[in-house]
Amino acid sequence: MDSLDALVAQVQGFSGTDDLLHLFSLLKQSDELLHNHAPRLQYALSSLDPAKHSLGYLYLLEVQSSGTLSQEQSENFLALASTFLNVCIAEQICLAPEKFNMVCRRVKEQALQLQEPLRAILPLQAAIRKLQPSSEFLTAMHADFLQMCLLAKCYKASLSVLEDDIFEIDQKRTGLVPRDFLLYCYYGGMIHIGLKQFGKALEFFQHAITAPATVLNAITIAAYKKFVLVSLIQLGQVPLFPKYTPPVVQRNLKSCVQDYVDLATSYVTRNIADVKGYITTHEDAFKSDNNLGLARQVIASLYKRNIQRLTQTYLTLSLQDIADNVQLDGPKEAELHILQMIQDGEIFARINQKDGMVSFQEDPEQYNTSAMTMRLNLEIHNIVRLAKKLTSVDEQVSCDQVYLSKIGRDRPRYETEDFDIVPQKMYTNL
Amino acid sequence: MSSSSGLTFKLHPLVILNISDHYTRIKAQQSGSASRPLPPAPRVYGCVLGVQTGRTVEIFNSFELHYDATQNVLDRAFLESKQEQYKKVFPKYDVLGWYSTGSDIQDSDILIHKALTDINESPVYLLLNPTINHAQKDLPISIFESELHVIEGVPSLIFVNASYTIETVEAERISVDHVAHIKPSDGSSAATQLAAHLTGMHSAIKMLNSRIRVLHHHLVSIQKGEAPYEHSLLRQVSSLVRRLPAIDSSRFQDDFVMEYNDTLLMTYLATITKCSSTMNELVDKFNTAYDKQNRRPGRSTFI
Repeated sequence: MDSLDALVAQVQGFSGTDDLLHLFSLLKQSDELLHNHAPRLQYALSSLDPAKHSLGYLYLLEVQSSGTLSQEQSENFLALASTFLNVCIAEQICLAPEKFNMVCRRVKEQALQLQEPLRAILPLQAAIRKLQPSSEFLTAMHADFLQMCLLAKCYKASLSVLEDDIFEIDQKRTGLVPRDFLLYCYYGGMIHIGLKQFGKALEFFQHAITAPATVLNAITIAAYKKFVLVSLIQLGQVPLFPKYTPPVVQRNLKSCVQDYVDLATSYVTRNIADVKGYITTHEDAFKSDNNLGLARQVIASLYKRNIQRLTQTYLTLSLQDIADNVQLDGPKEAELHILQMIQDGEIFARINQKDGMVSFQEDPEQYNTSAMTMRLNLEIHNIVRLAKKLTSVDEQVSCDQVYLSKIGRDRPRYETEDFDIVPQKMYTNL
Repeated sequence: MSSSSGLTFKLHPLVILNISDHYTRIKAQQSGSASRPLPPAPRVYGCVLGVQTGRTVEIFNSFELHYDATQNVLDRAFLESKQEQYKKVFPKYDVLGWYSTGSDIQDSDILIHKALTDINESPVYLLLNPTINHAQKDLPISIFESELHVIEGVPSLIFVNASYTIETVEAERISVDHVAHIKPSDGSSAATQLAAHLTGMHSAIKMLNSRIRVLHHHLVSIQKGEAPYEHSLLRQVSSLVRRLPAIDSSRFQDDFVMEYNDTLLMTYLATITKCSSTMNELVDKFNTAYDKQNRRPGRSTFI
């Protein structure tokens, strides 16, 4: 008992910034002590202020939440943890990233146990911001946060985190493991599907597929299944693996997802009846992967694609002909489809109600509005920022030891121009 | 001292070009012989021609004169023959005065001035300061008139400074622009020409920006009450502000925005190209450093 009080006193005393490291080492040693005094932890927690004594609070929370908790205990824990995550001091918790990650994971588990993923969203978002040195870093909580948003169906809440471009991964500072990265890509892709941003979803799934790996894992397989479906919806075909896909993935992935690959091949024939038939026969397989909704969207996209192909052949077409070409049930349904497509901006056409003719038109965008000016300005700024980032990474690689040694080794084979110690290459840096 | 004669002087850039050309030539000829050290800056002399209508003196042209510094004598015969020749071509122009180079007026100048009074009863004296001063923003040209002042009881002719404005005809503007942008003899590729053009535009815009800022600062201080309220200044500022926009119809707006967007699209394309080239280099370097399988033997071309 006394030692616990002594520890609490120490935490309160040492939480000024100078003694943080000292406090940190103390806390690491007293892990055992904390586990022994589990029942008294509640009292200890109430005497500490999470905003000032974040490090000590963190340790106590972590010990309190280990093991199975009763309903009331987990409610309690969730409430305490939520306030803690919102108000904790970033410098203090950055000293113990693994403990922090564990607390956040417990938060997620408790929220799931209580069937209230909504409660965990804001605290986890605050936690991400606190642990990230800058918005370009990936943390372990990204995956958990996105999972909570998916379960709670609050896609918009995750947008601010999703839209950050991730450039840096620092395992020491964030306590990241590769599984977190894969889960981040997978969940991120799923949220984008929920927001109907299929292009971005494809990007995320492709990251998951091409992540360096020595063995195949379930996350990659699940991501590839969704990747096939989304690329059918968005692009009309499944793109080949990029060159940087790890070879073990390239060799083995297709054999695990045979159903989907066959669906892709039948989609390419553009035959609606075939695709529909295929999906109904393999409905169980899709359902078990929770992909049935996506599969239905694939069918819808095939109609759209066929109608879009018609715009390349005809200038005007009657609704009846469209219905026949695309194997729709009748001109009414064709009209509905086309209206929807015009509204979504996927096609430019005019429907003449009197004689039921549809005339296809060109993109009316003239690029002569000031709104377009603003948009162009924004895009140019984005590209300039990206170019700056690229040049800095380029410089980093140029100064890298491995690269310089490889270049130096190849030098004897070159012509006699290279007499310098450090090889000079002709760059025209515009 | 400033002139009190009330004459307004208008100077054409051709005169300035002529004088500077004359001076540069003489200076180059002198320093041609490298055996002796560089002599002090030579003084060149010449006459200025122009038209005087009422109170306005407009100086259009100039020609060079032969001046013997040792004897302080102007070659009159040469001057008269030249004057006749110019009269045949430009009957309207009269000899209005003379010019010289140097940093300040000298005593010998007044003698030359008096010598010219038989051609023109009140000649003007144009002084060009050839020393290059980068901090100075105005032209190093001053125009002097001669006035009869009573100094220490003795009436004597002294020089008084007069203000002038620069007046240009369209042809002169083009030629001055051309001379100002003399390209370097080597490296006349499109890239350097474009860079030179853009830097010129950039410095012009920068100067415009700084001047507008000065005006703005002054107006703000007038608003706060720190500076006196001057009606004439405010009228000038108001007329300046009303000169833009020059056209303001909706059709102009449409065309302007379309052209602006086209330029932006080109810039966008250029930035994307530059970005892709950086990415290409980066990928090549990364592959040579880290990729175990695709080692390329021999030299790879870097763009």
